[in-house]
Amino acid sequence: MSLDISLERAAPPRQRTGLLFLQAFVAPLERAWHYRDLIRAVVRRELSARFKGSILGWLWAVFGPLVMLTFYTIIFSNAVGVPKSAASGGVKTYALSIFAGLIVFNLFSEIAYRSPGLLQEHVNFIKKSIFPSETLAWTATIRALVYAGISFAVLLLFQIVVTGGLPWSILLLPLVVIPFTLFLLGASWFLMALGSFTRDVSFLMTSIIPVMMFATPIFYSFTDVPEKARIYFRLNVIGNYIEMIRDLLLHGQLPDLTVYAGTVLVSLLIFRFGYRFFMRYKSIFVDVI
Amino acid sequence: MSSEPIIICDGVGKAFQLYMHRNDQLKQTLFWRWGPFYKEHWVLRDVTFNVSKGECVGIVGRNGAGKTTLLQILCGITTQTHGITKLNGRIAPILALGAGFDIELSGQENALIGGAILGLKRKEVLKRMPSIEAFADIGDFFYQPLKMYSSGMAARLAFSVCAHADADILIVDEALSVGDAEFGAKCDAYIKDFAKHGTILVVSHDLATLEALCDRLVWIENGTVKAIGTPQQIIPDYKIAMGREG
Repeated sequence: MSLDISLERAAPPRQRTGLLFLQAFVAPLERAWHYRDLIRAVVRRELSARFKGSILGWLWAVFGPLVMLTFYTIIFSNAVGVPKSAASGGVKTYALSIFAGLIVFNLFSEIAYRSPGLLQEHVNFIKKSIFPSETLAWTATIRALVYAGISFAVLLLFQIVVTGGLPWSILLLPLVVIPFTLFLLGASWFLMALGSFTRDVSFLMTSIIPVMMFATPIFYSFTDVPEKARIYFRLNVIGNYIEMIRDLLLHGQLPDLTVYAGTVLVSLLIFRFGYRFFMRYKSIFVDVI
Repeated sequence: MSSEPIIICDGVGKAFQLYMHRNDQLKQTLFWRWGPFYKEHWVLRDVTFNVSKGECVGIVGRNGAGKTTLLQILCGITTQTHGITKLNGRIAPILALGAGFDIELSGQENALIGGAILGLKRKEVLKRMPSIEAFADIGDFFYQPLKMYSSGMAARLAFSVCAHADADILIVDEALSVGDAEFGAKCDAYIKDFAKHGTILVVSHDLATLEALCDRLVWIENGTVKAIGTPQQIIPDYKIAMGREG
């Protein structure tokens, strides 16, 4: 793999062809494939650095979600109470439902908290070596996906114990997870670029995310939302993903196809324009971070 | 000597946008139409020179003349405001030794990431690992986290990784003064050996080294090329200019 420098130049003449629209989605993927060895090396570093120096090591990654699952089950079954939509299934299925929601939301919140500071964090890489900074979105997203995957394994185990099996529709999960990943990447690029210009983005995230958490159907379901307000909740992409994943994972049913199509479309647009935004300002923020 | 140019730098200029306030950068991005919200500061103006294959070219100039910025533009780290640059080959920049290292990881793990940044595949780096370890020559510290290293050791490791990158073009920014005399000699030997088949662009204040190593020197003053020529032509004038002012 040779490093083609002419690829890096600032303003190559753009070719406008009919395929441009499709090409725009493929370009970021091609670039990631080109740098796959670098992405892999950085992900490896992030994962191994995280638990280095602790005795229990990777057990923490399993232990964290387990504690969370237990506490949410206890708190929501006794102190807060189960919402209408979950009353029929009982406390344990409700706990599963919350947990699935939290995994998805935490995935998003990790990206949202971390992305604005990513460039600052890797300033040495970016300013002093030939480091393609757009790969940072990939490494952050893959890292978050790995932890989410561990939580997900705990969830599956818990589900088998509680319900005695898994629905077939689980096999369709990649159809939801892949567009969600693209959404996360796009959001990450967008926040990285904005975050390099002003620190306010980081602060904005710390105040917005907790609010978003309650505006997203994590501890409740869409069906608990009053009829009139539902349309606004549909605008929340993360909420839609949670609902679709719950359908496939817990309820053994296909999600609403209109919602699916809309959500995937929005995700693809965020992916595409997040990347474009990042690449457009890439040459500028090297000089300001 | 004058075969195909491997580094082309044609009329390159770079203006930094100086912002009085940090958030002016955001304003510029969003409201450029009502701007500008910055002052321009030109660090490089109309820099033109070529480097032929197999040539070793040194860049001299006082601090702040724009040498490092020029190297950064050539490496593609930052972009020029106008002008054209072209590099025909794989580059290994030694701009700041050990800049991309993680102190929690061992020397070996850092070598893997360093190699990946330079465009090597994991397998290639693993294959060269014994050679990288031998060149760095830091003993068992190679398997210790980097926070245990002295700065000289980190520099040895970094140079060793760059030396194994199979590059066509070596770009060195006055990084070679670190490390003890023995390692310095090793680096010099490597660079001399590299000069036999590869192309080198080096920034340094060490005129003796430049005179021994380089075929040509580019003298940069206040962001413009003041003179280009053989070390014998440039160095006497440069010494006089330096002596007069400082």
